[in-house]
Amino acid sequence: MANQLWCSNGIEVSFNPHYALTTLKKVEGSLQAFPYRSAGELVRFENVGLRYGVGAETLTDVSFSIEPQSFQFLTGASGTGKTTLLRLIMQALKPTRGTVVLFGQDTSLLEKDGLTALRRRMGIVFQDFRLLDHLTTYENVALPLKVQGRDEVTYRAEVTELLNWVGLGELIHAKPPILSGGEKQRASIARALVAQPELLLADEPTGNVDPSLARRLLRLFVEMNRSGTAILIATHDLGLMDQIEGARRLILADRRLYVEASDV
Amino acid sequence: MSENRFSRSGKLSAFSRFVPFFGRDPLVAADQVTDRALVAVIAILTFLAALTACAAQLTAATAMRWQVMMASEVTVQLKPQAGRSIDADIVRASDILRGTGGITSVKVLRREESAKLLEPWLGSASSIESLPIPRLITVQIDTHQPPDLNLVGRALADAVPGASLDDHRTWTKRLGHLSNLFLTASFGALLLVVLTTGLTIVFATRGAMAGNREIIEVLHFIGADDHYIAGQFQSHFAVLGVRGGLLGGGAALLLVLTLKLSILIPDGLQFSGLSEMSILDWQTVCATFGVIALVGIVAGLASRITVYRTIGMLA
Repeated sequence: MANQLWCSNGIEVSFNPHYALTTLKKVEGSLQAFPYRSAGELVRFENVGLRYGVGAETLTDVSFSIEPQSFQFLTGASGTGKTTLLRLIMQALKPTRGTVVLFGQDTSLLEKDGLTALRRRMGIVFQDFRLLDHLTTYENVALPLKVQGRDEVTYRAEVTELLNWVGLGELIHAKPPILSGGEKQRASIARALVAQPELLLADEPTGNVDPSLARRLLRLFVEMNRSGTAILIATHDLGLMDQIEGARRLILADRRLYVEASDV
Repeated sequence: MSENRFSRSGKLSAFSRFVPFFGRDPLVAADQVTDRALVAVIAILTFLAALTACAAQLTAATAMRWQVMMASEVTVQLKPQAGRSIDADIVRASDILRGTGGITSVKVLRREESAKLLEPWLGSASSIESLPIPRLITVQIDTHQPPDLNLVGRALADAVPGASLDDHRTWTKRLGHLSNLFLTASFGALLLVVLTTGLTIVFATRGAMAGNREIIEVLHFIGADDHYIAGQFQSHFAVLGVRGGLLGGGAALLLVLTLKLSILIPDGLQFSGLSEMSILDWQTVCATFGVIALVGIVAGLASRITVYRTIGMLA
């Protein structure tokens, strides 16, 4: 099965499930393959390029946007830059060129305090969980609220409820080293969701779990999406992507980003 | 950091449940070995600083006491003059002194008492009885309304040849200079110790930040700002500073207490100058706790400043 795609630099391509670009066809006229809607966009990349050191660009002319309450997958073969793109969104990396706009703010003009405020509107699920080993599951999950200066009394109940929701209610005082991979993954997802972010970035959230747990975790994301959070999941698991009907697919290949047509 | 505090079912250990402050973990991951070494270094530095502060306080207090004692007493010395009766001169000098305002008491030392003072140099009192030894009059002065000692000295010299008044001014000045010198040196030593503590904390904070680099990155991504992260490091190292300070300061207090007891008890609390002091006076305790607080503040501030300077590089 090949899906119809538009590349951000005006190249029309077909997407092969094995990430090989089988067809390339110049689209006449436009260099901007999808319409930008500046109002309300959570993320907007305009011709973003990233180069590490003096070598070739890792990402070239990446342009896309993420709408509120949307659901999309970011996919591509290993090494194509999925994590790099996520790190650009979470502002762990600065683009070599181009413009990154987050929540309507040009990130090149951001001061440090402004960056912190933007990050508080995002939830991040890391591929390697990034839980703090010396804190309990409860403390890890509550951390985004704690760093905002909220009193524990105001969030204790909701954190406990969230932990119950992700099936970690019995392990709230356990520390990450004694949790299984799936439990760590759920704790990581709970931490990303606890502050009710407008945008959730998840890097291979099902990469370390069995298919059954992967489906359950995906249901968590769908639930969050229904409650209003835009979701961007980086994955190379095609089966996972097929489970969500109507989810947009952003495909990285050949250093470029291709946005699959969808009705979302 | 013990992983065994928690069972698989997530139950807190009894210790953690009932001692929540010590049972809870700080956000900055503690490195037990480094933290212990740091606490030991701070304890040693605080011990030396507190000992210096206590010694300075003790010296200043003793010097002050001696200065007050000396300022409230002068000595009149009458040298035997050929052809004059020393006893008559003593009476004349005593009358002049008693008639002067601002003098509260006049005490003539008997010949035997004067001879006893010379005993260490000239041998037993009986063997120096035949010598023309000077006679002494000790005079207590009202420190609130002291007399003009220059005038008194001149009046004595005019009326009684061979009489001289010693107001111990030279000794008082020397003692004051010595005391100030010691205080300055102690203050300098204290500054050096505080500086060393600060530098030690700077290196420790840098090490801790390098070791907690991932934690700092995660904290940034979940929305923590630099103030929050700096605050975490500040409280971590301030706690270590105060812990080391309490250990070192406590040890210094114990040593001071032991030294004072070892001086006072064998002498039946009669040792001159120290006899009026309590075993552990409030100034000594204040000086020690002042040093402990200073070390804690310096540790916290040094850590905070280091975090702000280093966090940009880590980010």
